[in-house]
Amino acid sequence: MLIKAEKAINRFSDFLGTVSAVLFLLMLANVFIDVVMRYVFNDVSIAMQELEWHFFAAMFMLGVPYTLRTGGHVRVDLVYERLSAHKQSVIDIGGGVLLLLPFCLLVGWYGIDFAHEAFALGEMSGDPGGLPQRWIIKAVIPFAFFSTAIAGVAMILSSIITYRENTLHKTDRGLL
Amino acid sequence: MIGIVMFFVALLMLIFGFPVAFTFGGVALIFGVIAEGPDMFAFMPFRIQSIMENVTMMAVPLFIFMGIVLQKTRLAEQLLEAMGKLFGGVRGGLAISTVLVGALLAASTGVVGASVVAMGLISLPVMLKYNYDKSLACGTICASGTLGQIIPPSIILIILGDVLGIPVGDLFQAALAPGLVLIGCYVAYILVYSWLKPESAPALPMDDDVSSRREMYLRALKAIIPPLALILVVLGSIFAGIATPTESSALGGVGALFLAVLYRQFSWGMVYESAQETVKITAMVFAILLGATAFSMAFSYTGGDYIVEEVLSDLPGGQMGFLILSMVAILILGFFIDFVEISFIIVPILAPVAAALDIAPLWFAILIAMNLQTSFLTPPFGFSLFYLKGVAPPQVRTMDIYKGVIPFIIMQAAVVISLMFAPEWYGLTH
Amino acid sequence: SMAIFGNAQADDKVYRLKMAETWQTNFPIFGDAPRNMAAMAEKMSNGRLKITIDSANKHKSPFGVFDMVRAGQYDMGHSASYYWKGKVPNTLYFTTMPFGMTAPEQYAWFYQGGGMQLMEKVYGEFNLMSFPGGNTSNQMGGWFQKEINSLDDLKGLKMRIPGFAGEVLAKLGASPTNIPPGELYTALERRTIDALEWVGPSLDLRMGFHKIAPYYYTGWHEPATELQFLINKRSWDRLPADLQEILRVAMRTAAYDMYIQSYHESAENLAVIETEYPNVKIRTFPDDVMSALRKANEELLAEKAAADPVAKEILDSQAAYLKKVRRWTDISDKAYLNSISVSK
Ligand code: NA
Ligand code: NA
Repeated sequence: MLIKAEKAINRFSDFLGTVSAVLFLLMLANVFIDVVMRYVFNDVSIAMQELEWHFFAAMFMLGVPYTLRTGGHVRVDLVYERLSAHKQSVIDIGGGVLLLLPFCLLVGWYGIDFAHEAFALGEMSGDPGGLPQRWIIKAVIPFAFFSTAIAGVAMILSSIITYRENTLHKTDRGLL
Repeated sequence: MIGIVMFFVALLMLIFGFPVAFTFGGVALIFGVIAEGPDMFAFMPFRIQSIMENVTMMAVPLFIFMGIVLQKTRLAEQLLEAMGKLFGGVRGGLAISTVLVGALLAASTGVVGASVVAMGLISLPVMLKYNYDKSLACGTICASGTLGQIIPPSIILIILGDVLGIPVGDLFQAALAPGLVLIGCYVAYILVYSWLKPESAPALPMDDDVSSRREMYLRALKAIIPPLALILVVLGSIFAGIATPTESSALGGVGALFLAVLYRQFSWGMVYESAQETVKITAMVFAILLGATAFSMAFSYTGGDYIVEEVLSDLPGGQMGFLILSMVAILILGFFIDFVEISFIIVPILAPVAAALDIAPLWFAILIAMNLQTSFLTPPFGFSLFYLKGVAPPQVRTMDIYKGVIPFIIMQAAVVISLMFAPEWYGLTH
Repeated sequence: SMAIFGNAQADDKVYRLKMAETWQTNFPIFGDAPRNMAAMAEKMSNGRLKITIDSANKHKSPFGVFDMVRAGQYDMGHSASYYWKGKVPNTLYFTTMPFGMTAPEQYAWFYQGGGMQLMEKVYGEFNLMSFPGGNTSNQMGGWFQKEINSLDDLKGLKMRIPGFAGEVLAKLGASPTNIPPGELYTALERRTIDALEWVGPSLDLRMGFHKIAPYYYTGWHEPATELQFLINKRSWDRLPADLQEILRVAMRTAAYDMYIQSYHESAENLAVIETEYPNVKIRTFPDDVMSALRKANEELLAEKAAADPVAKEILDSQAAYLKKVRRWTDISDKAYLNSISVSK
């Protein structure tokens, strides 16, 4: 049961990782094209310039849950690495429940209002030729934080399994 | 008061080893909610959006990508090995090469996260492969990756120029000499250290099949030119007015892919994998920034900023006394709050006092900039240390990094002190 | 978020307001206005009205001031109305307009010519009040790497010029470009962009542009940039009538003080630029460029008026008032300046 739930969440986080990787490549191409267009053709598009940070922001925000799932978030290992898998799982369960979940859920919760406000006002870029529909990029905030909370649940489940079985639960860590 | 308690609780929690980003965020949440109620967190989306819109930070993923592609195609490795071999029998060649490459990257970005991570990707694996002492390797990377803050263009200098009302161009010019002196110190330290402890930084083995020294140098040159040209293109694009510093890092990414094609290492699979790794590392860096912004929010909205202001608004002493105390204060505050906060909140408190004491603003600004650069390296909260740990292989422990940066922190302190007592050495006036 | 302390004696109650400013801590001139206002309000109210100011370094969201004041996270804000045009298009018209009124003319429009009522109409819908918050006086047209001698020189000109003025320039074939403020200096020095506009000598000097760009053009696009005090209506309503009046007077005085200060700083800094950097050439755009800009501006305004009845109402009011007040400016200040310069 726990394993099934964990796997389902991991698939979701991996999907976000794929989306982020594609967003990164789009951002790279976007910045490169903007430089070439400006330098070679003297042509600047404000919409394209704004698109740069839209890709950038969505990329790192959606990358956070994916990175949690692949164990990529940096830890200070002064104590952690010396502990048994059993004790490590206690830290991850405790940290997940007391620190990660409340933080992500609360920020996500306030993020809903934030994005909704932009939607209700029909907010768009203030610059000429800028992008419309500001709410979309603002909605990435609650979406990414709730997704991180969900990825956090998978981390907690995995730690519970480790704790119960008293051996490291080998979760499939994705590509990396 | 809450701010200080919060700091020590965060420190304790960090030591247990829960991810740094969520430790900062969670501790901020607990203290923020207890002191002010949950509504304080309605400010978070605004703060997050400011990070999302900060286009200067786009240099972080772009440089990371360049580093990963150079690493995957083994071009970075060849560059450093070739440079290391040019040092012949001299030990520490790889580390010195790292400092030099780091200095070049520093000249094309002002974002610390970008260059530390790129250097971590490019040169840490190579130094470890050649049995370098882990601490020496990590210290070198953190310190040279942090050079971007003092070598122009630099975000710290731009902000300080704004705060102190000094033209940015003057600051850029004034920062160059101290920056070069720092690079010189790093190189000298590596030479001395590896001479004293030969096993810590072995000289690279010479190729056996090479008949003459000349052929070896030619080979080394062939390996050096392409990746070095890439880095120079990045830098050159800024000087030629083709790209802004941030955009230049995209040229670096595309250029790295171009080199991959040239060396027949290109595949779409490689591109996708590199993008995926870029995402992971970028998200690691930005998650820390997201957690840290919650932390600094809770710190200042519970009154931490007022305490800091009160302490600083009456520092005693004449010119030297004031300089020493303010530098120490900034160094200590650097453990708690980030350089932007220090520049905008602390510096304006100190600036009028400095002016009243006839301290030249340019001199004062460079002192502060060097001091703030150090704050990226100081354990336990130095961001460079977290970033390097995030990209280092598992055998590199946090403690290796902490130990490794200490000599570099001491060198930076020494340069700051010399700048304080003998600004004329650096072309500055009192 | 407004706390009320004190006892039953209504007169002794201390009212505390929290204000968010768009500017960084200790930002000169712009940031002096709200600080000056808060100090005056506290003194005039004998300590009953205390306003604390959080800079962008504390709230971290310079362009979130509108939303934060609207949501009541802050009671007040100090910012500029045209920053909100992406959220509420008609807020554009209450800062300054290309080819529009000068500062004294615009103050007359606000206070005597119906401007305040129109501003209330736009902001009232969002439960906000907006008051003039200090004027930069005429802003300069910007720093240019090359001289502008004809309309052709504007074609493909890469210039950092945000907002509506950028739209006008784009109509003539220029390329308005977004560059983050931290990279402006390097971008202009290295000619990644050909030109940029910032404010005027008052704030341009510290950016150092005079060291890297030879041409400083006189203004056309922001003849009277007026900042703004924003107030959440609920916070305002909670204040007793006397404190409301004190706040109103403090805001109006602080706005005027900032106008004076801007004028003074610009004069001082222009003198510094001209004596220390004699190579900086001050230029005015040629006549054909000015008429083309003016025509493009009129076309854009006509589009805006056609699209929105409130926009039309505001633009009509401004145009009618400008016509009347400019006649007086012409035969008073302008005639005076012309006549004494001829007699020199
Ligand atoms: Na730099
Ligand atoms: Na302006």
